[in-house]
Amino acid sequence: MNHPRENDLALLAGGEAGRIRRFLLDRHLRECADCRETVAEYRELRADVAELEPPDLNWSVLAADIRANIRLGLEAGACVRATPALKRWNARPAIALAGLLLLFVGGFFMRDVRLRQLISEQTPMAEEATPVLQMTGSGVEIRSGTNNSLTLLNHHGTATNQTVSARGDIGTRYVDSDTGSVTINNVYLQ
Amino acid sequence: MSICNKNGAAVLALACAFALALSAQETALDPSSSVKIDLPADAPLNLISTTMGDSRATSRGGAIVLDLHMGLTLRNSGARHIRGVTLLITAQEFAPGGKGSVARPSIDVPPGENFTLPIDIRLVRPVRETAGPLVRVQLDGVLFDDLSFFGPNKLNSQRALTFWEVEAERDRAYFKQALQARGEKGLQQEILASIAKQADRPQLDVSLSRNGRAVGSAVPSTDHVAQFAFLNLPGAPVQPLEGWAAISGNEARSPQIEIVNKSGKPVRYVEIGWLVKDKQGREYVAGSVPGSESTMVLPSGQHTRLQQDTALRFSRSGRPVEIDGMTAYVSQVEFADGRVWVPSRRDLDSSPLLRVTAPSPEEQRLADIYAKKGLGALVLELGRY
Repeated sequence: MNHPRENDLALLAGGEAGRIRRFLLDRHLRECADCRETVAEYRELRADVAELEPPDLNWSVLAADIRANIRLGLEAGACVRATPALKRWNARPAIALAGLLLLFVGGFFMRDVRLRQLISEQTPMAEEATPVLQMTGSGVEIRSGTNNSLTLLNHHGTATNQTVSARGDIGTRYVDSDTGSVTINNVYLQ
Repeated sequence: MSICNKNGAAVLALACAFALALSAQETALDPSSSVKIDLPADAPLNLISTTMGDSRATSRGGAIVLDLHMGLTLRNSGARHIRGVTLLITAQEFAPGGKGSVARPSIDVPPGENFTLPIDIRLVRPVRETAGPLVRVQLDGVLFDDLSFFGPNKLNSQRALTFWEVEAERDRAYFKQALQARGEKGLQQEILASIAKQADRPQLDVSLSRNGRAVGSAVPSTDHVAQFAFLNLPGAPVQPLEGWAAISGNEARSPQIEIVNKSGKPVRYVEIGWLVKDKQGREYVAGSVPGSESTMVLPSGQHTRLQQDTALRFSRSGRPVEIDGMTAYVSQVEFADGRVWVPSRRDLDSSPLLRVTAPSPEEQRLADIYAKKGLGALVLELGRY
């Protein structure tokens, strides 16, 4: 046989069990002498306690102390909750900021790469190490990089004719103002 | 601004000026150590004097800028009249391997007479210690009035000087004929027409580099292959058959032209004149497509292909000129026996397209004489030889 819990028997002895719980407990007690005895003991104890004199207490002071303790507890609890709230690190803004930074840096470098590509597309002949022949305002120039160039200059004359050979040479022809003779400067790719 | 700040700015400006002065030091060049002039001992030219003018070496940052303004006075020590001279210019340790030449065609220097040849060079190179002369000047060739030649001919100067001399003879004969047939008035009309043609002739700025792709390699998808149209000159000993070049915007690469020798003599050199047309229909001289430097001999009736592995970029007034069409014509032929062919004046007048071709050096010189000294000086000049 299953016996009810002792708490339920105590509640039944004090008349505080619920209606359904009381019906079930009463039915069990009709068949169980041990449990009837337990309930009887609880009722006797309850009667004994009721006969005791209450102690001489100042209930107002006691209530004030309890309220003060409750207030103190609430404030202490608030303090305890506030400290971890301040120290708590929210990673989401940092992640968003890092993402933005990564996007910016990546964009900067990609822009730089694209810019270099554009520059090299637009002026490949001037920037590459490959020698490039071209006419300039002053003569025919062969250039390789920034610090390597050879120019045959037009002497005291303006070049009036340019000759270009797909073999790899460019020439300028001008009439020398000093002598009236034609001078032809040619520069060759080797 | 406080006094302290003003003083600081002044000190900074002085420091900058001092630094600039240090970074752009100029020194005069010593002709004897900077330039070496080599004339063969048996050359028909003697070096009389060398002037260095205001030649300077300037140090700028990590580079040295050499401005050489030389004048070489040479004497014809041979027995024949000199018609042309070419000097080879090489700069020491010039990494790209560039070299130059200074040529003086269309001259008539009798034996024993002096003439002066200007050589103006700007050389930019990294600063480093070097020993020996910076620039070397060598004789590459001398052409005489009988078209004989002296010199090492490293730059094929014999061919170039001979073509210039044959063109000069053609144009002198043309203007002499105008003078004889129509008098000074007729000569004046012809020379004025030449000056007008030279003034109207549109020119392109061209930059040139090695292609970087082997001839015959695949053409990139951004390119298209454009075919040449041909102007067939009636008297040309060689006929172009077909040709093409890879075109990408304002760049033309790897021109190739198939030719046939329709003369009865073997040919060892051919040069094709190359005209391009822009999107607006204007024609320009782009350059020329010569045969290779190898010892080509093209027998009569045989075909060969002229091809060059270079890339040419065209612009005008700083703006790219996109290529819309190409035309070619035979401009020079050298036979195996050394004789040369150039288009006649009638050939050059046969098509309006050829109005854009450059005048010969001699025609340019005669026009300059007329412009500066007048008709009388031109008539005297034509009567000299």
